[in-house]
Amino acid sequence: MGNFFSALADIFTNESLYRNAMIVAVVLMFAASGELVAEKAGTINISLEAMMLGGAYAAAVGQARGGVWGGLLLAALAGLLVAAVQANMSHRLSADQFVVGLVLNVLVLGIVGFLVGSNEPESHVVDRLKVPVLSEIPLIGPALFDQPWVLYLVYPVVPAIWFLLYRTRWGLEVRAIGEDPNASDVSGLSVNKLRRQTIYLTGVLAGIAGGYFLYARSGRFEDSLIGGRGYIAIAAVIFGGWTLKGSVAGCVAFGLVGSFVLTIPSLGYKAIDPAFLAMAPNVVTVVAMTMFAKRVRQPAALARPFIRGLK
Amino acid sequence: MTSTSDASFQNDMVGGEHSSPPTVELIDITKRFGQIVACDRVSLTLRSGKIHGILGENGAGKSTLMKVLIGLVLPDAGQIRLHGKPVQITDPIDAATHGIAMVHQHFSLVEALTVWENVALGDVGRLDHRHVRERVAQISEHYGLHINPDDRISDLSAGMRQRVEIIKCLRRDPQVLVFDEPTSVLSPSESEFLFAALRRVVQEEGKAVALVSHKLPEILSVTDEVTIMRDGKVVRAGETAGTAASELARAMVGRDVVLRREHAAFGVMDINDKPTPSPVATTAAAPSPSPALRLVDLHITGRDGRALLSGLTLDVYPGEIVGVAGVEDNGQRTLGDVLSSLVALDSGKVEVAGIGVATGRAGAMAKAGIGVIPEDRHDSGCVLDFTVAENLFIADPDRVSRRGFMNVATMRQRAEVLIRQFSINCTGPNAPMWSLSGGNQQRVVMARELAHDPKVLVAAQPTHGLDVGAIEYMSEQLRNAAATGVGVLLISTELEEVLDLSDRIVVIYNGRIVGEMSKGHVDVERLGMLMTGAGESHE
Repeated sequence: MGNFFSALADIFTNESLYRNAMIVAVVLMFAASGELVAEKAGTINISLEAMMLGGAYAAAVGQARGGVWGGLLLAALAGLLVAAVQANMSHRLSADQFVVGLVLNVLVLGIVGFLVGSNEPESHVVDRLKVPVLSEIPLIGPALFDQPWVLYLVYPVVPAIWFLLYRTRWGLEVRAIGEDPNASDVSGLSVNKLRRQTIYLTGVLAGIAGGYFLYARSGRFEDSLIGGRGYIAIAAVIFGGWTLKGSVAGCVAFGLVGSFVLTIPSLGYKAIDPAFLAMAPNVVTVVAMTMFAKRVRQPAALARPFIRGLK
Repeated sequence: MTSTSDASFQNDMVGGEHSSPPTVELIDITKRFGQIVACDRVSLTLRSGKIHGILGENGAGKSTLMKVLIGLVLPDAGQIRLHGKPVQITDPIDAATHGIAMVHQHFSLVEALTVWENVALGDVGRLDHRHVRERVAQISEHYGLHINPDDRISDLSAGMRQRVEIIKCLRRDPQVLVFDEPTSVLSPSESEFLFAALRRVVQEEGKAVALVSHKLPEILSVTDEVTIMRDGKVVRAGETAGTAASELARAMVGRDVVLRREHAAFGVMDINDKPTPSPVATTAAAPSPSPALRLVDLHITGRDGRALLSGLTLDVYPGEIVGVAGVEDNGQRTLGDVLSSLVALDSGKVEVAGIGVATGRAGAMAKAGIGVIPEDRHDSGCVLDFTVAENLFIADPDRVSRRGFMNVATMRQRAEVLIRQFSINCTGPNAPMWSLSGGNQQRVVMARELAHDPKVLVAAQPTHGLDVGAIEYMSEQLRNAAATGVGVLLISTELEEVLDLSDRIVVIYNGRIVGEMSKGHVDVERLGMLMTGAGESHE
């Protein structure tokens, strides 16, 4: 038993646990903050995964020519491209949003796999940037302030999303159409147009999420890079009860769970089967979802298509 | 066309600019939808400082006329004049810029948002929440509406919500306000409050108001002028003062139907003197030993933790009609759902003819002998894409099938009998349900439920959305059912309907029965108090 506690202490005082957790948490935060806006407006944007993967590939291609900023721009455009399909299919042509999302996830995976096979892009990890003083905070200092510099881009994004949702007319309209599209329609809002706009925003952020992850984590693009994190970001929004604070907390929690998987074997603890560990984040996701899904109040019109004149 | 001099109305002083042209003139408006003429050379004049009532049955053309005014429908012929100048109103935004606003009854407020957020919806430009909040508070105070801009809509009662709707309209300072059936979801006291506020708006600011209603008492007590429409035409127009209720009622329906309902509602006729609708009803006064339906201490809590039913207890004896009166959303829908086996009880019990019935198990209530005419016939009453015959036997296909195989010939034959018996107007048993009018669809539902020889018949809002003829028919069928010994439970938010049909009236408030009165001892005022929770009696 003593062994167990010292092992726990070992794991929890390990800086790389938090550092790795943060890297994953941030990819989720980029994606989840966009997803939150889309869900507030009434779309469960399943194609988040495709947007991230497309973004990651575009970032890999873009880095060789336009550097990291060029790569991120291209990543945002790739996300936007996927978003354009999702938005117009589901909120102009009234196709089922889930079917469109699933199709896009499969399609983008196929396209990216094909492109990588024929021409593998040259890309690499960006440098770490150590923020003086702040990075000296024990344990979490390095995780928050001694990271690849692209990670810091998330810090202004999260408050900006809050401001957008709760302090602008556009945000008010977005929240209104997700709750009661009919009432919003009567009030003169263009429901489907607004919904499309939220998906474009999600596409841009999810594309950047993919690009960020490539630059911060692996440096080399593989089609398994995103590996279901789009779904986990959606789970984080649900876990967070459709609030920004909660979604960010969800991202951190899922990031931490993922990080254990890397940290435990690296510290030499072999007692737990690595295959079992690899499964853990998904198990935690399922458990968290069943615990939280029923308790919180979701946007009333979530996942319901809006067709004018339909009661 | 009508005389505008009427010294008996004090607001004439405010609105009586007889020399200047009226605020709105609709002249010879005609609108056709295919073969049907919805409005046939209809003229209507709205004056500043006056409330103009528009009365008519369903399908009389009231709504179409209002839609023309707010730009939702373009007229085929006719002219609209504002302050004497001809204008074209092509869409609601156009109407708004001309100062015409409609107070919507449904679908216009987002429940999850606050009052000020809802008021700001649909505006343009930068969101200045301080300014919107102040404006809402200011309007609320000015008209005595008592609305807090920071309240969440979901926490407000129906009456309060309507005040928010009004604020939403008034904020743009319209000259013309259109109300479409504003009191359909309000309690009597809330309606009174609404009209008092309306009166202030009209008097102080010289606004012109159009009030569409099917409630005579409302029209009589609130309006200055009244226009009555029937079959797309104006049949009577003029001052309200000095007009007799019976006169208006006759003009509205165009024939002398039984107007007991309308009379009873505003006390012109004593309901106590009402002829006994069914001979068996009198025996119900001395309760027969065992009730047909017994509901004991029903409790149900909704998913959101709200108590939907909290200790509802009620007996219905064979041969009587028990009317459940109450303002919408006080547990009526849940009660109907329990008796349709849609939801299970948290506690309490349901007995049919002395035998307990499991709640929430599909079909159990029907098997025990409860027939239900559901509140929303499209949603749960019938399948629109099925034929009339299929709809007649959908609840119990065993009657027309053997060993799982449908006997089409038998089904057709029996359907024909029912169609004749209930005078269902359709092309035959194979007519698709959607081809029938609302009244005939309701007859199909009625026929199906009564064909099972139920012990109890539950009718939830049975005449909602039907015209006068169909209402009369439904009422008669309910009385006939009671006469043959069925216990009828009538759940309705139309007080007139309950008063007209019931042998015994109970009032539901907050998920329980708060008062009861027999037909001979109805005190409308006390009824109103009970319905609003103002006068919870002994229970």
